[in-house]
Amino acid sequence: MVKEDINIGLGFRREIAGNFLEEGGLHPDFIEVAPENWIDMGGYWGDVFKKVTDKYPLILHGLSLSIGSPEEPDWAFLKKVKQFIKDYHVAVYSDHLTFAKMDNAHLYDLLPIPFREDAVKHVVQRIKEVQDFLERPLTLENASYYTSVAAEMTEQQFISSIVEESGCNLLLDVNNVYVNAFNHKYDAREFIDAMPLGRVTYIHMAGHYKIQPDLIIDTHGEAIIDPVFDLFDYTIEKMAPVPVLLERDFNFPEMEELKTEMDKLRTICKKNWTSDVVQQGNI
Amino acid sequence: MLYSKETYKLQQEFTRWCRTGEEIHLENTRPEGLKQYRRLLRNNINNTMKQAFPIAVSILSEKEWATLIDDFFAGHDAQTFQVWKLPFEFYQFVSKQSYGITFKKPYLSDLLHFEWIEIDVHTMPDQIPEPFKKKGDPKKDRIEVNKEYRLIKLNFPVHLYAAEESKNHTGNYFLLAYRHPDNFEVRFVDLPALHTLFFEKIAQEGKSVQEILKEIGEASSPELMPEIEKNISKFVETMFDQKIFLGYQHIYKN
Repeated sequence: MVKEDINIGLGFRREIAGNFLEEGGLHPDFIEVAPENWIDMGGYWGDVFKKVTDKYPLILHGLSLSIGSPEEPDWAFLKKVKQFIKDYHVAVYSDHLTFAKMDNAHLYDLLPIPFREDAVKHVVQRIKEVQDFLERPLTLENASYYTSVAAEMTEQQFISSIVEESGCNLLLDVNNVYVNAFNHKYDAREFIDAMPLGRVTYIHMAGHYKIQPDLIIDTHGEAIIDPVFDLFDYTIEKMAPVPVLLERDFNFPEMEELKTEMDKLRTICKKNWTSDVVQQGNI
Repeated sequence: MLYSKETYKLQQEFTRWCRTGEEIHLENTRPEGLKQYRRLLRNNINNTMKQAFPIAVSILSEKEWATLIDDFFAGHDAQTFQVWKLPFEFYQFVSKQSYGITFKKPYLSDLLHFEWIEIDVHTMPDQIPEPFKKKGDPKKDRIEVNKEYRLIKLNFPVHLYAAEESKNHTGNYFLLAYRHPDNFEVRFVDLPALHTLFFEKIAQEGKSVQEILKEIGEASSPELMPEIEKNISKFVETMFDQKIFLGYQHIYKN
């Protein structure tokens, strides 16, 4: 099968919402939102959301699943997500391989799960429960982290074990690999080589910010740097085509700059994915 | 739960640090990385509240505001999975803990409530009205009300005066916030007690103006009724003009 259909998406954010609907504005192949930001939203923003989802295919990238929480999954939340997926004909529901809730309190950010054998077992069980409930595979992202917590295995082993044992898909955030490799002093390409790339169904690309000479924060507020584009090129050469998202959450530049970044992603995808390959990531 | 007690405790200590900044000793962690989590999580809460409550931020000192954020983050178990709804929990927390008294700003709770309902009405799920007629008898027919509203009671009229000045005008104030159906704008209407009574009976009990007047007539002096009727007639007209009242309900007969 000849791959022609390359999908480059952009995160739909309120600050740049008008650009998704205007003539001559941004025209990504798909958009991505956090369902938490749009479930039960009415009024002006509900109206905008309806217009934009009428125009673009939608992928969900959640923040509150908290698959690594000790407590039970939030079934009321998942019920709403399931309905939202149905209402908007969502192709992919993704979240993070992290936890964001502890002791019955939401924390609204992504905390690292300890890389431990018992954590693998726990998360695998949770993923299976959630997948059964949603009646679809989960797609989970390798998260950026600024410290590991009492790790007993490597990050690669942790992610690979969970993907293999749970049957979930992997959202490979290439910028996160770069950020983590820098912060924790490992080789990003070796990390990519160790990932179950056959299970990657979605890729994220983003910018980051170096706050100290030895610490990068995954901000999504800067342009993608060349070494991350290089790592992306290295990664996708080994993979079948999947949707690729440009994540930009704040500090928005002129729209031309975002278009240029999306064009660059498209060019790299075309270079790697125009040969005969089996397509796994159409949306 | 398949976590070991040890891993579970690690996660508890980690999140406790994030919420309180209390010193912990977690093995195999990078202290500088650990600090980032507390900074990032607290920033999230702080930025969300600053955006939701711009007036409250402006009238509190930096120290007072920081106290609210720190106490809320450490002491309140956030329940909503939607961070944009968290300001409601913040308002409830501040009210319950009586920070207005502590800070000698007794209007604080009302101010947060006032600022919250603008967000609440702006974002609330669409409430589709029942099919209605545009023409009818404003006195006898049942009125179809715009359901996209909140009605709150304030003791400090922070919607009418600057916060400090509101201390000099305490009383019972009823504030109706609604979403205009034509342009989604949130608008505020200060309602006198009599109008609030009528509004609640029309909107929540589905009564006609005539039915409510009859109820009031039974409990009031007859000589007051002509003035009340005149007043209510004008009120109903205004509510239609403002698109809080949308039209007249269809009466379906078997």
